[in-house]
Amino acid sequence: MLRTELRKLLPYRTAWVILLLFSALLAATVAGAGGVTVNGQTLGAALYALPGMWAKLAYIAGYFSLLPAFLLIMVITDEFQYRTFRQQLIDGTSREQLLLDKLMVALLLTLWGMLSVLIAGVFFGLTRNPDATLANVFGGAAEPLLLYGLQLLGYLSIAALLALLIRKSTPAIVALLLYVWVAERLVRYFLPDAVDRFLPIKAMDMLTPSPFAQTLDTMLGPSGALAPTQAAVVALGYVGLCWLLGAFLLRTRDL
Amino acid sequence: MAAETVLELQQLTKHYGRTKAVQDLTLSVPRGSVYGLLGPNGSGKTTTLGIALGVLHATGGTASWFGQLPSASTRRRIGALLETPNFFPYLSARQNLQIAADIKQAGEADIQAALQTVGLANRQHEPVRGFSLGMKQRLALASALLGQPEVLVLDEPTNGLDPQGIADVRALILRLAAEGKTIILASHLLDEVQKVCTHVGVMHQGQLRAAGPVGSILAATDRVHLRLGAGAAPEALAQALAALPFVHDVQTLPTGACSLTLANGYSAADLNRALFANGLVLAHLSTERPSLEAEFMQIIQNS
Repeated sequence: MLRTELRKLLPYRTAWVILLLFSALLAATVAGAGGVTVNGQTLGAALYALPGMWAKLAYIAGYFSLLPAFLLIMVITDEFQYRTFRQQLIDGTSREQLLLDKLMVALLLTLWGMLSVLIAGVFFGLTRNPDATLANVFGGAAEPLLLYGLQLLGYLSIAALLALLIRKSTPAIVALLLYVWVAERLVRYFLPDAVDRFLPIKAMDMLTPSPFAQTLDTMLGPSGALAPTQAAVVALGYVGLCWLLGAFLLRTRDL
Repeated sequence: MAAETVLELQQLTKHYGRTKAVQDLTLSVPRGSVYGLLGPNGSGKTTTLGIALGVLHATGGTASWFGQLPSASTRRRIGALLETPNFFPYLSARQNLQIAADIKQAGEADIQAALQTVGLANRQHEPVRGFSLGMKQRLALASALLGQPEVLVLDEPTNGLDPQGIADVRALILRLAAEGKTIILASHLLDEVQKVCTHVGVMHQGQLRAAGPVGSILAATDRVHLRLGAGAAPEALAQALAALPFVHDVQTLPTGACSLTLANGYSAADLNRALFANGLVLAHLSTERPSLEAEFMQIIQNS
């Protein structure tokens, strides 16, 4: 039912505003960060140096993952507000299909995020590395892109769960912000590092580690963070859990 | 041979906390009927249909369509408008119908035909957010008609419509019924139901108070009016009527005329014969069929 979801999404002006804002902010930040001078040295060369540029781009893109998450919340809660979930069920779809349709939207948004990073990477890779060819720009792109995609899908999955639970856009967005910025950080404060690294947002953020993580580890000792591949397994688990809980909510509650 | 049942509800119950929205409701809708589900606001009509259509979970009991438990495939054989028209306001009428058509596997020709039927073909490219309630109601009807459903479930379909719109919907229901479609019509507008329905179920406080063909519901309370011939004593008539076990609710007018109801299975002719056997000759005997409204009020009051 991808076609049906596209019928709803493509004419939705808010969706385009948010997605273009995401891409524009990413491009502007990457362009702007290159011009930042630290101790008399411009970051540009280090930021755009291949193949490490992709991991840095993925890290920067991670700062904007909440934007597509807000969009997904709006897309889902609109269905409750307009009672179109109810109507589609009456028209002959199933509750499981309603959820799969939204999973498809989440995957589409993930694809948009990855595509934005890819385009930004190709553009800055080619223009800021005079000797670069398309082949060596792409070299090393796959893993950071996939990890970023998984991180974004993770944020989207949490957003979808909150939207299905709360059913109203503003409270669901506030709940997401509270969880990401306040609740999980508070929980982390009381938990040892060995445990809190398995919490959803922390594990997902480890998929795109800070470019300075290695330096910090050298200076302050090992942080106990999960390696991106380990974090990927944890994140995948949370993605699956969120959608399973979402399915449970849709299946058991009245529409 | 008994008519095939399209919808069967067995002891359907729905509680919202302590509120009993529907209680032990059992009814069946025969194929080809126009079934009116009557009841005042809050009587449980929409909840009942919501459970039947799978959007609400029953606390108890079962609903089955075409002899099967409700599923996506059974729902695709039904066109339904439940409570309010539900559309994406930023999409046009046609775009909204395309979403429903995708689900119902209906084609573009079907969409165009449905828009023509409800008189929205010339407004199909306008966003729904600019539509009046009446136009949204028409669009919801168009959506329900997509995919050539065998059954139409229409919950208050004339809400928001002007008199011409109401007449159009009534004509549409009659036309679809003539084509053999089964129609379930929930309404609190008794006149609307009486004009189009073959069967009726009366709901009050979540319970089904009466159900059956409209004719049988009304015939059960036909009022018989009678007057004795000149010279006969009114007291003799009162005595004779009191002695007849199939006579109920006798009302005597100052003129000496009486009106009464008869038990099921008895006719005015039976009454005439019984009175004649008692030596009473009637000068006037007529039967009056009450309106559905009067019958409805009676059922509600009795419950």
